[in-house]
Amino acid sequence: MPTAHVLLPLLLLVACKPPPDERHHMPQADAARGKAAIERVGCASCHAIPGVRWPQGTIGPSLDGFAERALIAGRLPNRPDVLAAFVRDAPSLAPGTNMPAMPLNEEESRDVAAYLYTLGDR
Amino acid sequence: MSPPISTRSAIADALAGWPPPVFDPAGPYAGSITTLAWVLLVMSVVVLGVVLVALWLALFGSKRQRARVGGTKAVWTGGIIFPVIVLTLLLVYGLSLTRSLTAPIRGDEMRVRITGEMWWWRVAYLDGEGRATMVDANELHIPTGRPVVLELESSDVIHSFWVPRLSGKLDMIPGRRNLMRIQADRPGVFGGQCAEYCGGPHALMGFVVVAHRPQDFAAMMAARRTRTVALSPQAARGAQLFADAGCAACHRIAGTPANGLAGPDLTHVGSRRSLGAGILPNNRGTMIGWIGDSQAIKPGNRMPRYTVLPGEDLQALAAYLEARK
Amino acid sequence: MTSETGFDPKLYDRFPTREPRPEGELEELERIWHAPTGWARLTVVNNNFIGTWYVGAAFLFFILAGVLALVMRTQLALPLQGILPQETYNQFFTMHGTVMMFLFAVPAVEALGVLLLPQMLAARDLPFPRLSAYAFWAYLVGGLSFFCSLFFGLAPDGGWFMYPPLTSIAYSPGINADFWLLGIGFIEISAIAGAIEIVVGVLRTRAPGMTLDKMPIFAWAMLVFAVMIIIGFPSIILGTLLLELERALNWPFFDPTRGGDALLWQHLFWFFGHPEVYIIFLPAAGLVSMMVAALARTPLVGYQLIVLALLATGFISFGVWSHHMFVTGMPTLSVSFFSAASMAVSVPAGIQVFSWIATVAVGKPRNNTPTLFLLGGLVTFVIGGLTGVMVALVPFDWQAHDSYFIVAHLHYVLIGGMVFPLFAAFYYWAPMMSRRALSERLGKWVFWLMFAGMQVAFLPMHLTGLMGMPRRVYTYLPGRDWEVTNMISTIGAYMIGLGVLLFVIDLARNFRFTAGDEAGNVYGGGTLEWLPTGLYSTRSIPVVKSREPLWDDPKLSDDVEAGRYFLPNSATGHRETLITSPIRAEPEYLQIMPGPSAWPLFAAIFTAGFFLLLTVQAYNPSIASGVLAVLCVLRWLWETDRPVAKAHADVGAGIILPTYATGPRTHGWWAMTVLLVVIGMIFVMAVFSYLYLYGVHPSFWTSPPDAPWLLPIIGGHAAAAGFALLARRLLARERTTLWTPATLVLIAAGFALFAFAIDWWSWRATGLTGATSGQGATVHAFLALQGILTAIVALMALYLAARNARGIVTRPRNNSMDLTVMFIAYTAAQGTLAALLTRLFPGAI
Repeated sequence: MPTAHVLLPLLLLVACKPPPDERHHMPQADAARGKAAIERVGCASCHAIPGVRWPQGTIGPSLDGFAERALIAGRLPNRPDVLAAFVRDAPSLAPGTNMPAMPLNEEESRDVAAYLYTLGDR
Repeated sequence: MSPPISTRSAIADALAGWPPPVFDPAGPYAGSITTLAWVLLVMSVVVLGVVLVALWLALFGSKRQRARVGGTKAVWTGGIIFPVIVLTLLLVYGLSLTRSLTAPIRGDEMRVRITGEMWWWRVAYLDGEGRATMVDANELHIPTGRPVVLELESSDVIHSFWVPRLSGKLDMIPGRRNLMRIQADRPGVFGGQCAEYCGGPHALMGFVVVAHRPQDFAAMMAARRTRTVALSPQAARGAQLFADAGCAACHRIAGTPANGLAGPDLTHVGSRRSLGAGILPNNRGTMIGWIGDSQAIKPGNRMPRYTVLPGEDLQALAAYLEARK
Repeated sequence: MTSETGFDPKLYDRFPTREPRPEGELEELERIWHAPTGWARLTVVNNNFIGTWYVGAAFLFFILAGVLALVMRTQLALPLQGILPQETYNQFFTMHGTVMMFLFAVPAVEALGVLLLPQMLAARDLPFPRLSAYAFWAYLVGGLSFFCSLFFGLAPDGGWFMYPPLTSIAYSPGINADFWLLGIGFIEISAIAGAIEIVVGVLRTRAPGMTLDKMPIFAWAMLVFAVMIIIGFPSIILGTLLLELERALNWPFFDPTRGGDALLWQHLFWFFGHPEVYIIFLPAAGLVSMMVAALARTPLVGYQLIVLALLATGFISFGVWSHHMFVTGMPTLSVSFFSAASMAVSVPAGIQVFSWIATVAVGKPRNNTPTLFLLGGLVTFVIGGLTGVMVALVPFDWQAHDSYFIVAHLHYVLIGGMVFPLFAAFYYWAPMMSRRALSERLGKWVFWLMFAGMQVAFLPMHLTGLMGMPRRVYTYLPGRDWEVTNMISTIGAYMIGLGVLLFVIDLARNFRFTAGDEAGNVYGGGTLEWLPTGLYSTRSIPVVKSREPLWDDPKLSDDVEAGRYFLPNSATGHRETLITSPIRAEPEYLQIMPGPSAWPLFAAIFTAGFFLLLTVQAYNPSIASGVLAVLCVLRWLWETDRPVAKAHADVGAGIILPTYATGPRTHGWWAMTVLLVVIGMIFVMAVFSYLYLYGVHPSFWTSPPDAPWLLPIIGGHAAAAGFALLARRLLARERTTLWTPATLVLIAAGFALFAFAIDWWSWRATGLTGATSGQGATVHAFLALQGILTAIVALMALYLAARNARGIVTRPRNNSMDLTVMFIAYTAAQGTLAALLTRLFPGAI
């Protein structure tokens, strides 16, 4: 039964998401696991994140089309390594940001970044 | 395919539906019902089998078989004698189990009052005289290996308390107090959710019970009582905001002027495994999201949205609450 | 042979008659029973039309509520879907339950009663055709308006069980909850009306010779059904009244802070609500017993046992209501009793199941659609019954209660016990009303889709429940492992939906309503509904000598159609049917029946207007509508209870019967008695509420008005009853003037009003208001009930006076007079009892 957690989102991904952008290629990361991590730590309580039906928080910016953005938090380059570090510990990269550090390990933050790069413009 | 990893938080583990909680008891009260459930399941399958065989013989059996099924004698046997025997046996079993599960409460058990609220749970640990010694919300800590008596009440509409791995359910009815015993025989986190429709976000009204080994439990409760909170500058600013932004009107934090009773007690909110009554993991980010706009997360809940608060204020409040272990 | 009424059973031997019938009789029957055409078609009262429309309307609500279910299943297919927002979902599940139970299930079986009973009993029509028409229209107009509340976001959202305090004004301030109370109001009216029809119809309009032990099982089932409605519905009538009073006037019946109690509602609701399940199931079981025998082409095995099972079910079902309350913390002793009763009620069900299997074994059912539905329903029902036994065991119920396990259980019971038999009935009896039978080919698809869909949808739900998923949740979080079973259930739900859609297609292609050239007895049934009929029902009313007369007398159809039995013509030139004795069905008198009328339709529309306008708080228009409704009812009654020119008529073979009868043997007297039992049960439930609240919160009780007040109150009631009885006596005396009896009834009504006013005033003087406490609320509930009765007494007295003034009150006896007197006497008795109870208990004890 636990496979359902992994399989179902995977199916959804295959069904409706464009392939990740070349610039954001992350060979060791797994977007499906990233989505699971997003659900586990509750990123969506502040951000509307496509593919996560609930919640759809309004406090932080929506992450729709994230892969197409040039900057993270309006000031950092939108690169895989920066994003992975940012989702884990935003305050140390961008002092003064409203995004707090989140309880993710390095591998998980790479997965999360990989998931965010599946969010292209539609 | 990638190797399976644990995608569950502690709270999700507590609330997992597999193995089915009714068949995966963690203590004697749920356990005896599990035995009953298996007996009933087997009984049902056997009786269904008897009926299906009778029907099969009636439709496709030989002449002799059909004659045997097709008479008043068969009706007496299958429709009266057989059910009466089966039902009587079950009834005796069921009633004796009911009696043992509702045996009078000794009185020396640990007592906790849990009050159903729209749409969360007020938790008060009681002393021998029934006075609250510690107040919490949406989470209950118990020691393993001994029964804990819950006084179930409601302050608004009818709710129902159900943590299937520990016990069956019991309603919380305004104007009444129902007593329930739970017991966990192994440490762990056991979840449940409100089982009586209570309007609005009834679907999002979860609860967790955390069972500790007795020595761990005692240590944890003692630590809670004696803990002094050292606040970082950011958290200190949050404490100020908590008073200024009106949070204290609804929430209580023991040892501070905040004394509101309408919403959950936040004295130990930082140590909880969930936010929003068993629905969100508890971390800095979800705390910010919940404070800022809980309506987007749990529509219809009684906490207003605070989207007017600037980000740094939300940060400070979250830092402050996170420190309230 | 003994006789019940003095009727000589040897007279039956005169039938079938030999002499040819005179020309033109059939044409006259056709003319008299002719149904208006065009727009006037809406004024028909014939049971063929009303019954078919009734079934159609119930089926419409089945589809509407089914669509709601499909949307909900779509929402739950995956976690956290956003198809239905929370508040809409809460309205959807409330409406699904309410519409299925109140607007589909009860009316559907009642409709089948209206449609089938007169045919099975070979009566010309039900005894009160206009009442049927009124009940149908009130139900249709009211039900549709109720359903439409969903489109305005005003639908109730407190669940079909409407537990206060969630539904009290504090937590449900909108008018949504009032819409529920309104919707239920209609079904209460039509259910009670139907129960009266059915009790009187089954007991008094059977074909001559159809003694109770020759009655078709369906008639037995409907009789038990009607009695259960009479006992059970008053509880919900009182419950809805109390809840509305609490919402509108702040009377704290269910508010524990003022001496009310939330559980009072649950007792009232489930005292009705559980028998309700059997109210739905028993008629369906009756249909199954009829169809199994016909389809297996052999008499039913265990007829007596089945009749006993029906009676036992009806009886035991009133002792099981608290099994819906096992988790409310009731004392162990009470739950043990209810647990035992809940298990006992499965024995009669077992009897029926094995009787059906035995009948199948004796006969040779063919592989046709109704048989498939019967067998599929049987298997499904058995599974539901077994899970029912499981939840009757209290500790298991503590886990299963309010989880999806229960959702699975109740759908197995209701779909297996009622919906599948209903579909079998659609296929089996459609040829009775339709020019063409329904399609066997499509029908098998319908069955297999519905049957497979049923198992796919609801079998996994047991597991979902044991996995911890509660009912009535608009969504669930991921990570609870509930996704897979929920997705499977949704797929099954769509399969059922597809099956029902195919059935609708089948109906559209093949169902052509007719009251003359039916497809006929396709499946070879042996009971009277398969006699050739017109709108007048059968040409003549046969003498019944066995349970399957058509099988035992192959010439019967021809003889009946040739008019060789009772009433081959219209004996008086009016619509008429035979009233027979309750046990042995010996002919007693000829009932003159009312014909088409627009007044029941208007009365229904204004009744609907009254409730609807009340709900949207347009009080003055509402009152106006209510007054118009009453006037329409009086107008329709005005034409009734008229003796005809011929005091006696030949009903065939020289047997002479009176055309007007009075006293305890009349159908009107029986109907009034049934109505008074209903009112009496409402009163009993009010007494229960009063004592219950005292038992829960005695500290809120204050002392009643002083005992001397009782004197004028009881005196007033006694005077009212006395004058009413005197009026009835004086009517018999030729020498009194026309006005006197009516004047006496008016005086009686005046005394009733006086006694009520004193009662009310004496409580006012104590300062106890309805809003003060549970005591105040229940005392004022008694007063409210008494006030309603008194108003009806006044109305009846005025109506009688008006009839008297127009000289249409017959002497020496008159039915309108008798019924008015009965009602006044009852009102006086209830008023006295209420006054005594509220003053002497608990005060004097």
